[in-house]
Amino acid sequence: MKIRRTERLSPLRIYAVLTLMVTAYLVLLGALWRLQVSKVSQFESRIESQSLRRVRLPGIRGKIYDRNDLCLADNRPNYTIALFPEEIRHPGLTKTVDHAMDVVDQVAEITGLTPILDRKDIIRHINGYRPLPLVLWRDVGPKVIARFAEQAHDIPGVDIYTQATRKYPYSPYTSHLLGYVGEVEPSKDSAEEYFSYNLDEMKGRAGLEKLFDPFMRGEAGAKLVQVDVGIYRYRDLMRRAPKRGGDLRLTLDMEVQLLAHQALGTNVGSVVVMDPNNGDVLAMLSGPGYDANRFVPYITSKDWNVLTEHPGKPMLNRAVMGTYPPGSTFKPLVGLAAATVNPNAIHTVYDCPGAFRVGKRIMHDWNRGGHGERDMRGALMRSANVYFFKTALENGHEPIIEQAKAIGLGQKTGVEVDYERSGVLPDTEWLRQKGIGGWTDGDTCNLAIGQGFLAVTPIQMAMLTATIANGGYLYRPRLIQAYREPGADLFSPAPERRMGKMNWSPEVVETVRGGMHDVIMAEEGTGKSAAVEGLDFAAKTGTAEYWVKIDGERQTKKHTWMIAFAPFDNPQYAVAFLIENGVSGGRTVGPRMKMLMEGLYRKMQMENRVSGSEFQVPGSSHSSFINPQSSIFGGGVS
Amino acid sequence: MIQRIRRFDWTLFGTILVLLFLSFLFIYSAGYQSGDVALGGKALKQVVWALIGLGCYTAGAAFDYRKLKELHWWVYAAALAGLLLVFLFPEKNNAHRWIPMPGFDLQPSEFAKLALVFSLAAMLSNPATDVQEPFTFAKAFLLAAAPFMLIVMEPDLGTSMVLVPVTIALLFCAGAPRRPILILIGAGIGGLILLGIWLSYFPDTCPFLTEYQKSRVLVYLNVSQDPLGAGWNKLQSQIAVGSGGLFGKGYLKGTQNILGFLPRTVAPTDFIYSVVAEETGFTGSSVLLVLYTTMTVRCMRTAVKAVDRFGRLLAVGIGVLLFSHVFINIAMTVGLMPITGLPLPLMSYGGSFMVSTMAALGLVQSVYLRRRI
Repeated sequence: MKIRRTERLSPLRIYAVLTLMVTAYLVLLGALWRLQVSKVSQFESRIESQSLRRVRLPGIRGKIYDRNDLCLADNRPNYTIALFPEEIRHPGLTKTVDHAMDVVDQVAEITGLTPILDRKDIIRHINGYRPLPLVLWRDVGPKVIARFAEQAHDIPGVDIYTQATRKYPYSPYTSHLLGYVGEVEPSKDSAEEYFSYNLDEMKGRAGLEKLFDPFMRGEAGAKLVQVDVGIYRYRDLMRRAPKRGGDLRLTLDMEVQLLAHQALGTNVGSVVVMDPNNGDVLAMLSGPGYDANRFVPYITSKDWNVLTEHPGKPMLNRAVMGTYPPGSTFKPLVGLAAATVNPNAIHTVYDCPGAFRVGKRIMHDWNRGGHGERDMRGALMRSANVYFFKTALENGHEPIIEQAKAIGLGQKTGVEVDYERSGVLPDTEWLRQKGIGGWTDGDTCNLAIGQGFLAVTPIQMAMLTATIANGGYLYRPRLIQAYREPGADLFSPAPERRMGKMNWSPEVVETVRGGMHDVIMAEEGTGKSAAVEGLDFAAKTGTAEYWVKIDGERQTKKHTWMIAFAPFDNPQYAVAFLIENGVSGGRTVGPRMKMLMEGLYRKMQMENRVSGSEFQVPGSSHSSFINPQSSIFGGGVS
Repeated sequence: MIQRIRRFDWTLFGTILVLLFLSFLFIYSAGYQSGDVALGGKALKQVVWALIGLGCYTAGAAFDYRKLKELHWWVYAAALAGLLLVFLFPEKNNAHRWIPMPGFDLQPSEFAKLALVFSLAAMLSNPATDVQEPFTFAKAFLLAAAPFMLIVMEPDLGTSMVLVPVTIALLFCAGAPRRPILILIGAGIGGLILLGIWLSYFPDTCPFLTEYQKSRVLVYLNVSQDPLGAGWNKLQSQIAVGSGGLFGKGYLKGTQNILGFLPRTVAPTDFIYSVVAEETGFTGSSVLLVLYTTMTVRCMRTAVKAVDRFGRLLAVGIGVLLFSHVFINIAMTVGLMPITGLPLPLMSYGGSFMVSTMAALGLVQSVYLRRRI
């Protein structure tokens, strides 16, 4: 039988618990006494005659260099006059704000600056960003600093505060690549983070600045200073040094980038220059550009409206975000594809009249008179449409799609940009999904001349050009050559992105390269307007038609292209050049490409990279252009 | 009826009224300092809550607490349901603690604490329960574990921690054998020490604490005593309390609370004591301590005088629950404990907690009214 313990239970245990609790209260009382009474002098003096100030030491954002260590994104000190809200507190918000306004007026009188902030700004800052200094005036000059140091240093709660500001010395030419940093709005959700002194002031908002923000950001430090009121004296109580962020070295060659910029001029379009030997992006330009410095620390709404309302869409990085039909610049690939299934295709001769019937549709050549009988090299030189209709119909569209896919057309290249578009490489499956129907001969003919649904970005075309230039070695473009980790002395190289080799026979490659060579160098070539005295190089023009509705009327417009590589024997540069709404590749882009090539030629001469190129016989040996590849394995210098 | 009123615990009731009045005064002061858009808005709201609380108090006192012996499962189930429900609503301040209601946010964890006290008291006072048996221990722990885990998951570590002393005290006062209780307390302290060591040496691998919880514990342990970062709040809270001195700066004259030192979401809710300490000094803050001591003593006195086992355990549970809040809150304000978001009973701004505290104190009164003479 169970014994009922209930009745026997004495209140002893309850008294024990109570004693414990009362003891705990006494401990609290002791702690209060210690804090409030026995230590009172120390704490009181901290409040009444001195104050503690947390001074944020901003993290130093990593820099971005071009391949020759030219600094493209730099930091400069920005001297501001700032209010430290924790030091101006008075009982009650109204009195605190009154006091702050007094301080602002005093400083304004001494320095001769006009107050920019009003009561509302101060209240907003106190309620939201208390631990951060409130910047009263940005970017003050040395005169103001001198006056402030002389006369205003003893005003409590206000001081000179140094911020780091981002600077882009070559901005309009690099803005799409680098992007920009902007001021951070602390998030309203997380109270904890919000009140932390190491909030970031700047954050990468676009481009590489955004993509590598955590890497480059660095870490803010801080120091705790004791400020004596009335006397210009500080004592550092403790200090935590800020940390540098990591640096980036790009593959970009600023010289080439500037040449590309000069060549593009005021046209709307894009230029991408790649090194065919390793996939390095040497230049990537989109026009029109914009001045990224306007975004630091924040862009004014006026500037923003100018940018967003500009008809040339300057914020768009056309090199990776613009998708265009490649037009005839696609033809070299069509030739290469045909040869993969039919090695004889390069020798096949087709009659190329001015028009060609596919089903019920008549497709015209750009030259209504036609081009007569042509083999592949000759057809490339003249950009004869009918030749490519016939070879595509005979050898099928599948190899073309297969080759384009292998090279990476219609896919994102993975280059280090914040937004990239893939474009479209249509195939049977794609047509079905879009509900367009089955693949027809018309689609094949469109594909053969780079028209129809096909849409590519300039960087994809540069990639294609580089692959043809180097004889079939595939590289994905890369923009980052090396990283320097925070605190490291040396850069560590980023890997090249070699993807494999195309299954093109040397003879076929030589035919296609030869055709592209003739585009520039032969009398009949469609791109001879780009020819440069003394430089042997190869190219392909393209004029892609598209339709727009203007006032309900269908109008034909043209995107004009040129792809090129130079020098012919030992390619150092692979270029994709696009100008929106031109006349034709040869006429619109040709002279621009000539400017670019002249510049590149001078650069190569200065760097002694093309000595004696004039004396070489064009297309003499393919081993010479494949040669640089050996460096990848053999460790030679490329 | 008249006899009933004569038997009323006027000391406890008077203490409550004084605390409610002080609550209004100092919430007004805190609002004045931080410049709330509607000055005194929170203080007036608090008055409304106090009135609702007084209603709950009266209802609790009039209610025969013995009926809870039959009802407690329903209350417990409802509390658990409430704790589950919070996860259906969007996060606020990075936590799932509230159920949005018209006009206010309901915080089910406040009621879950009480529900646990009811269930433990009912279970441990049941004549069929042998408190000497290990099985009873296990049952008590299962009862406590369900709300504990749910509150930890919200996450609200401070509130969940309160359940531990309550459970242990109830087991102890119900007459459970001493040794397992001592082992339990030892294990708890050992666990805390282990957690401290873990955090000190491998702060990045601690699985269930959020970043700010870790930093608060670390600051408390002085491992990264970093007055520049996570330690800033602790330092500033101590300066605020310390700057009060013996007699304080005077009502509405405090400056530490306004600018800079506390995360906005916790003052004037959790740091109300530092407002009192700064403005009234050691004098005022010890008066407040005396008031809370009175409250605790009266609860335990009720327990001793209770007519039955259930009433006794109910009063002990509520007394220890309120004590835990008071102790943890003030200890954190003076820097004796890591900063946790735990309100100060009857003083902190907040509706759910006011209502549950007042109802609980009403039940203590109910036990007292029906005491042995």
